[in-house]
Amino acid sequence: MSSHTTTNNTLNLGTFACAWCGLTVSAYAADGAPRNHCPSCLHSRHVLDHVEGGPSDCEGRMSPIAIAVLRTGDWMVIHRCVRCDELTSNPVRTDDNQLILMRMAVRPLAQPPFPLEAFGTL
Amino acid sequence: MPRNNHSSRGQQQRRRRPQRHKDVLHTQGGHRANDFRCTSCRLDVSPDAPGTAHRNHCPNCLASLHVDRKTPGDRDADCRGRMEALGMSVRTDGEWMIIHQCTSCGELSANRIAGDDNPLALVRLALRPLADPKHAGRALITL
Repeated sequence: MSSHTTTNNTLNLGTFACAWCGLTVSAYAADGAPRNHCPSCLHSRHVLDHVEGGPSDCEGRMSPIAIAVLRTGDWMVIHRCVRCDELTSNPVRTDDNQLILMRMAVRPLAQPPFPLEAFGTL
Repeated sequence: MPRNNHSSRGQQQRRRRPQRHKDVLHTQGGHRANDFRCTSCRLDVSPDAPGTAHRNHCPNCLASLHVDRKTPGDRDADCRGRMEALGMSVRTDGEWMIIHQCTSCGELSANRIAGDDNPLALVRLALRPLADPKHAGRALITL
């Protein structure tokens, strides 16, 4: 959720309510960086159109599905809109819930599609 | 000795039967007409993949091409940029999905893995967040 939305009270108060857990979140992190997902449950809202730019009229909830790593080593959260299936990537903030971040990072290893024991012989 | 050898080879050539007719054509329109070449590692890849109806990434290096826009196989995008594997996601039924990002326009897409994908490349991609000691270490200390 970015600061230049004109809906509800984002501009006036600098806060938004999380679409999943209802937490009232300030639109800027402690270090002044804009925040677009809830630090508690990492859910976001589809307000920016990342393909064509500008505001999106979807307004769907976006759930976190993956962790991606940039070349710089920074983590990004991949969000998927539950209404229109659009994917976005957003940088991780320092006060994000580390338990959910770590759970998403190790989730592929919980159910590997092939036995991982074979890699011991490589 | 060399002269003997030469004469026996000549006899063999005379006795050789005519070449069989080839019913497999390797040129355009043959059995590899629909193959594509990976833009990243230049591997020739056949389009039918075990486990999926649409092959959309190279089984060796997991790179893809930005040709589909919304639904797989619609061939609606005019970007044609190379899409690199960015991360690994898991569906609720436990199936791995590769997150691709287009290197020319930045678009993201999620694709199912195929049965003949390189397991080493898949596991390297899945372990990429944990390989970086800065973020993973901080996350584990905070927990």
